Amino acid sequence: MYLIKKNDVKKIAKALEEKYTLYGPYVDEAFGQCFFDKVSADNVDLNAPIPTNPPKHVVFPHLETIMQYKYDKNAKKVDIAMVFDDTPKVLFGLRSCDLTGLQCIDRFFLGQEFVDEVYRHHRSRMFIVANTCVVPFKQCFCVCTDSGPAAQEGYDVNLTNLGDSYLIEVGSEKGKAFIESFGFAKATEEQLKQKQKLIEKSITMFEDIATESKAWASRVMNRVTTGFIKEEVWEYIGNQCIECGACSYVCPSCTCFNINDANTIAGNTERVRTWDSCSYEGYSRMAGGHNPRKPIEDRRNKRFLCKLSYSQSKKYLRPGCVGCGRCAWVCPGEIGLPNVVTYIRREIHE
Amino acid sequence: MSYRPGVCTFCGTGCGHYLKVDGTSVQGVFPSRVHPVSKGRLCVRGWNIHELLGTQERIIKPYIKDSGQANYQDAIAKLVSALSSYKPEEIAFYASPRSSNEDNFALMKLARLVFKTNNISLQAESGHRNSLDVLYNGTGFAGMLGSLEDIRKAEVLIVAGMDITTQNPIIGSELHYASRSGSLLITIDSRMTKIAKLSKKFINIKPGTMRIVFDAIGHYIDKQQWGDTKSAHYEEYKKYLATVPFDSIEKETGVLPAEIAFVAERLVKAKSAAVFFTSGISGLSYDTVASIYNLFVLAGKIGKEGCGVNPIVGINNLQGSFDMGCAPDLLTGFQSIDDATAKKNFEKKWGHELPQFKGKTVEQLLADSSSPLKALVIVDHDDGIVKYADRLQSLPFVAYIGAFTNKVADVAHVVLPITTYIETDGTFTNAERRVQLSLKKCDNTFDVLPMWKLCDTIAQAAGKAFNYQGASEVMDEIASLTPSYESISYKLLSKKHGVQWPCTKKNHDGTKYCVPEKVSFVLPQKPYAAVQATQEYPYLLMLGKSQHYWHQNNIMHKTFIPLREYNATLLLYPDGYMAIAPEDAKKIGVRDRWPVKVVAEKASMKAMVMISDDVAPGTAYVPYFIREGIASFLLAYSDIVSQGEEATIPVRIEKV
Amino acid sequence: MSEQKIVTVPEIATIEEIKDEIVDVKTFYLRFDNKEIDGNFKFKSGQFIMCTIFGAGEFAVSLPPSPENDRFHITVRRIGKVTNALHDLQVGDKVGIRGPFGNGFPFEEIKGKNVIYVAGGIGLIPLRSSIVHVLQHRNEFGRILLLYGSRSPQDLMYQYMLDEWQKIEGFETFITVDNGTPEWKGNVGIITTLFDKVEIPVENTVAFVCGPPVMFNAVIKELMQRGIKDDMIISTLERHMKCGVGKCQHCAIGRTLVCTDGPVYTYRQIKTLGEQI
Repeated sequence: MYLIKKNDVKKIAKALEEKYTLYGPYVDEAFGQCFFDKVSADNVDLNAPIPTNPPKHVVFPHLETIMQYKYDKNAKKVDIAMVFDDTPKVLFGLRSCDLTGLQCIDRFFLGQEFVDEVYRHHRSRMFIVANTCVVPFKQCFCVCTDSGPAAQEGYDVNLTNLGDSYLIEVGSEKGKAFIESFGFAKATEEQLKQKQKLIEKSITMFEDIATESKAWASRVMNRVTTGFIKEEVWEYIGNQCIECGACSYVCPSCTCFNINDANTIAGNTERVRTWDSCSYEGYSRMAGGHNPRKPIEDRRNKRFLCKLSYSQSKKYLRPGCVGCGRCAWVCPGEIGLPNVVTYIRREIHE
Repeated sequence: MSYRPGVCTFCGTGCGHYLKVDGTSVQGVFPSRVHPVSKGRLCVRGWNIHELLGTQERIIKPYIKDSGQANYQDAIAKLVSALSSYKPEEIAFYASPRSSNEDNFALMKLARLVFKTNNISLQAESGHRNSLDVLYNGTGFAGMLGSLEDIRKAEVLIVAGMDITTQNPIIGSELHYASRSGSLLITIDSRMTKIAKLSKKFINIKPGTMRIVFDAIGHYIDKQQWGDTKSAHYEEYKKYLATVPFDSIEKETGVLPAEIAFVAERLVKAKSAAVFFTSGISGLSYDTVASIYNLFVLAGKIGKEGCGVNPIVGINNLQGSFDMGCAPDLLTGFQSIDDATAKKNFEKKWGHELPQFKGKTVEQLLADSSSPLKALVIVDHDDGIVKYADRLQSLPFVAYIGAFTNKVADVAHVVLPITTYIETDGTFTNAERRVQLSLKKCDNTFDVLPMWKLCDTIAQAAGKAFNYQGASEVMDEIASLTPSYESISYKLLSKKHGVQWPCTKKNHDGTKYCVPEKVSFVLPQKPYAAVQATQEYPYLLMLGKSQHYWHQNNIMHKTFIPLREYNATLLLYPDGYMAIAPEDAKKIGVRDRWPVKVVAEKASMKAMVMISDDVAPGTAYVPYFIREGIASFLLAYSDIVSQGEEATIPVRIEKV
Repeated sequence: MSEQKIVTVPEIATIEEIKDEIVDVKTFYLRFDNKEIDGNFKFKSGQFIMCTIFGAGEFAVSLPPSPENDRFHITVRRIGKVTNALHDLQVGDKVGIRGPFGNGFPFEEIKGKNVIYVAGGIGLIPLRSSIVHVLQHRNEFGRILLLYGSRSPQDLMYQYMLDEWQKIEGFETFITVDNGTPEWKGNVGIITTLFDKVEIPVENTVAFVCGPPVMFNAVIKELMQRGIKDDMIISTLERHMKCGVGKCQHCAIGRTLVCTDGPVYTYRQIKTLGEQI
């Protein structure tokens, strides 16, 4: 644990920038929207509100070429090469919901029967600097999904804004070695207590929906897992869905992807992996047209099962939802996850 | 910091987005949260637009049919010498409603100034033009009267025969939001669309009776003496309303008199009301748009906040393309080519006289086998003229200008590549007249020219250079010639989510909703001709066009996920389909995907059955697939097809 | 390398022979170019592979050959973009293969039991592997039956194998077609009509069912009515797949993934998945 002056945060970012490609939150100068993306240390803004996009795209891009091949039909010769990206990257100022989302994706892509090699390379040389949320934002509900407001694990370095200074905690050997090189002043127990107090205060500042208690989500998870939810509830939810796919695209833990082969002007073919969403009609449709999940409510409840059902949590070793509230921002209907939980709770109470 | 703000260019909603641009490639997209229309939302197309922008299916080199790949200089020389060898009446320009305002203006200037022809038109059928004509005749305002931003302010919202959550999903979402927060959302349609399911009131009408239904509502309001009688031509309108078959309304339209009364009462009593109808690749007929418009005049819902008669365009810059004068009879900003002052302004600015002869649309020229058409320039085509393929192939000269590979380019004698919209600057005008600036986001790797520059280069080769240094100069010229764009400049538009024209020197912030100086009723041109089913032809066949427009769309084929989603029905029914109600299928004795013969008085065709609850019994629905069989069937009924969304043909369905 | 799965980079295989089966269905005999894999590509009946058609894409396809002593091949219907591209290939062309993936049919567990195969149309393709495998171990099983139905005599899959199978003593084969032709001398009627003509064993019996959803549901009803338990009815499911290794999630049904937990399920499992077949 160390205590640094506010300005020293830039020093840390600058040092990391020398060894890694820096990704962090910044505010778009045209319209003030906050993004998490490639950024220079000078432009990183730790006080920016929660980025509108999750950091998922750094390790799992919206569109990426995962394989290239060239088939010479006359010579009957094929050249295949995987395309991996293992450049060193630092995720700077990651908020705990997004860090938890990253852990979900880690466990999903790396932790099951097969390892996703493309993802493993993306993730292989990464340094993570987390940032404690001392103030929650309007749509946050991480207290209900056990993913905030402060990160518990999974970071190399964690920063907490104590007002006039930053508290630094290290979470790994890599992080320890890096921070030690600066020779910052050690922090005291008093400052750790101060951090705890800030977190407690932060928790009280959440919107009503989140402060009711953690049972908010667990009660609903129970219901979703056991399947005792009336068809009408799914229908009500399904009717509002216009199948834009936004909820999956902005979710820090959604991992569905689509694969297509695209021919290039140069005469070879790229195997392209793009994000996909279970709400799309074509997602489960097979060649020939049979679709086992034709009605929209079937598809719609798929995502909520994935996020809320215990039986799905084996993929992530925790609930799939990390409480960032982004799906509620972008939904053209009113079926972001918090709303869906409200609808199900309404049914429980009726 | 690779997220760059821009405008989505799929449909006429004009949502705001950020493109993730790395070097020369687009790797992702994210919605803009503060955009006044989209407010952080995008639809399936918008969320996957980077798939299109990253496609390698591009035209990268100019091409001359006789000699293969060429450079710009030779290809342009060939184009200029070919076009110069024909009379102006023999040349036509087919502009794309996807091009930016600058690109279309430059093309219009090329046609009129350099090649002296008024034969310039858009790749869109008469739909939006009908809407603009009605609104212009009634209010002097050729665009949406209301505003998408104001949807939440309307107490009553009417969707007239439009599958809006598929065509313009974000507008659909906005309507749904308004409905949830208390507005009365009414859908009047012949099919149970998604927006119908989300509406508080769904009025299921017989196909082709939209006009009668709206006039009946007007009739009821007038009878109750609730209406506004001060607007011009009221007496004529009243006389016309007397012809509405009000006493037999249920038999004619399938709508109960009580439903008419309900809508009439709520419409009149509401403080504000807006109506939305399709106006894209194909829209409603002039008379139906007039009926809708007249009802809103009568109900006093013109020129107030939250009110509007709102044609919704399906293509991103269809409104802007009309604003740029891409029509035989129009200059920019809906100024008539016969308007002496406007004409003088253009001639003064351009230093040349405008062509005198009365131009025709490309569709008119292609359809009429005796037309003088010899040379055609096509821009970024969207598969619409496939039905004239034979005529196209027999033309002595065809030039194709476009960014993406396209089958139409195969018949061209000269092909000229251009950049995509993110590789140059440009403005786009959405359905609510919002002119938005989209700045260049990455370089083009193939060294191709933006269209405005290409037009300039062609003009230069023909000896009449435009001398534009950048797209912003094109906009400056547009502004100087167009009263409604008077104060628009790139400087005004930068760091802004666009402004809605009229944007004049007195009014830099643009105009949210139209407050006309004078409102008049617009009299219909033709008497009612509601098509009735007969014993011999017991089913009413509807011709849906816009719902499936995206299926045939050339650019959609360059994507993965939108292609998969919008191609769904095409995969299942590769040769098209005819949707009928389950009880009718039983009656005819057919099951899903069985072939049937559709017989009408003048023609017949084969189709595959799709059983759907969305169509009412006694009706059948055929999407507008430009396929051989259906195309020939439609050509026999081209007069009816030209009515757009309301086209209905009585048919008999036979099992084969 | 021998028993390893090919997970990430497809291995190249050459089309050695193409056989026309029925309209739009062809069998492609394949040989791996890599000598270490050729002949050592171990898989279980009921597993599937991901097959890349270069320039078009990748698709999931079941493996019809028996895991023992059978020529490596796939049988594919021309139905989408990628399978269309495969059908346009010729002998000598290359394809890419990843796999084998999936759980496969139980083989050890069903030893000593009567085995009924019920197939409809091209549903015979994924069952072929198990049928040949069980026949190769004929004396380890009780009665073996095949009930096979198709739309017409022209739509019968693997006609040459059917002819052969009908000659095998102790392999009870029953074939029916929905619509007969003048030349057709066999049964006419949908597949469930066979159930009244055949004495179906019930005790100590396992049934393999594969076919289109309508046929599947009808057959299940018949089997259950006769007293065959739902955990003794085995089927293999088809889903839209992209990765084959449990990552893309396209094939998710309920809490399972067809590519890693399936494609072989008992009817007892299928019932609890909460989705259409």
